[in-house]
Amino acid sequence: MVMGVSRRAVEAVFQSLFLLTDLRVLLRSTAPDHRLDEAQRAGVRDRIAALRREVDAIEQELLK
Amino acid sequence: MKLCGEIEVRDREETLINLDPIQSGGRLTAEAMKAVIAYGDGYSVCDACGKPFRLDTIKKPPLDAFHRDLAAFVHMDVARVMPGARRGFQAVTHTLVSPGQPVILTALSHYTAFLAVESAGGVPREIPMDGNHRITGEEAAKTLEAVTRESGSPPPLLMVDHFDYQYGNEHQVREIAKAAGQYDVPVLYNGAYSVGILPVDGEALGVDFVVGSGHKSMAAPAPSGMLATTSEYAGKIFRTTGIRGDRTNRTFGVKEVEMMGCTLMGATVMGMMASFPHVRERVNRWQEELENARLVARALSSISGTAILSEVPRRHTLTRADTLGSFDVVARTHKKKGFFLTSALKERGIGGLFPGATRVWKYNTYGLTRRQAEHVAASFREIAKENGIAVM
Repeated sequence: MVMGVSRRAVEAVFQSLFLLTDLRVLLRSTAPDHRLDEAQRAGVRDRIAALRREVDAIEQELLK
Repeated sequence: MKLCGEIEVRDREETLINLDPIQSGGRLTAEAMKAVIAYGDGYSVCDACGKPFRLDTIKKPPLDAFHRDLAAFVHMDVARVMPGARRGFQAVTHTLVSPGQPVILTALSHYTAFLAVESAGGVPREIPMDGNHRITGEEAAKTLEAVTRESGSPPPLLMVDHFDYQYGNEHQVREIAKAAGQYDVPVLYNGAYSVGILPVDGEALGVDFVVGSGHKSMAAPAPSGMLATTSEYAGKIFRTTGIRGDRTNRTFGVKEVEMMGCTLMGATVMGMMASFPHVRERVNRWQEELENARLVARALSSISGTAILSEVPRRHTLTRADTLGSFDVVARTHKKKGFFLTSALKERGIGGLFPGATRVWKYNTYGLTRRQAEHVAASFREIAKENGIAVM
């Protein structure tokens, strides 16, 4: 690892973008009313929880 | 919402059901979007490029394997990624066609096929379509015979679309290739509306070149596409440079002349590659796509004064409709004139039709879920009823 690099912050930023991308694709497949079935709602809940963890990691790494 | 400066965020796909005739097969997968995020920088695939310094030999990311996968995907021997199908046409015409030579196209060929012929100095000769807007083997044979007789030798190339851009009709590629084979004329299969959305087998069709469009049918960013060929033609089309600088004596390794070296070096090829596993699998769901296309076509046909101009039952999701006797009649007296239809569709969360179109227009249902297709079908019928048009 290069000195000073926060690998965790870099990974957390990418992972956050990827999780948001999954949500973007869900918006597309459910347009125009964005009415979600139960499996889709569960998927959203999982991704939001994972996204919160990644955002926490970014905060911890960059603002420590 | 602005992305930056005066650039608007494009959210058509997130907010509407998009029926645009050319955009549906190029919508990115989640994987392609992630690849664009990670590989958006210019020469991003070149981090680990080593000797012999060519795109199709890069192992990390695995572009070498991707090239082999692409060839296998369309049952050909060798493939290259291209900046769009049109550049695939051009690589072939530049290799096979000499100035003044006739090249056989069809009455439904895309304009880029014509430009590829023009850029090589060729002379287009079109196979006429039949009364159902289809290109047949029989007409191809007649055109081959006439052109060969007139010019004293067979033409150097025949280019044919599997499905054309005007009607989305299926053409007799196998029969056309068989006719061309009798004159020893190589055949270029234009799969811009097929490679990546339905199964394509170049070997079984008997063609010499398969061209696909990444941004039209392979869920990839533009400009992207592919050109695949047989081992017989690969050495010609993908020939390597032999030029040498007269003062510096420089040579340029194994760069391929028609590829102008490397073709797609960043987000385009990575998006295409990231989508590929999904694309390879989705072609097997073509029947489901056709069911959606037929559902919407049936709904339109049920509206009095409306005709589907494409072949019926639909064999493709791209469809041409004639609403001169229905929605266009309404447009003549409606306060929004021709815009009433696109406006009414937008109110129902449907977009992508040419604004103001109420006469003859195209749409594409590819990639819609069944629920979305049902909503589109019901919306057309509803709009017709609301405007006093009889619906059967």
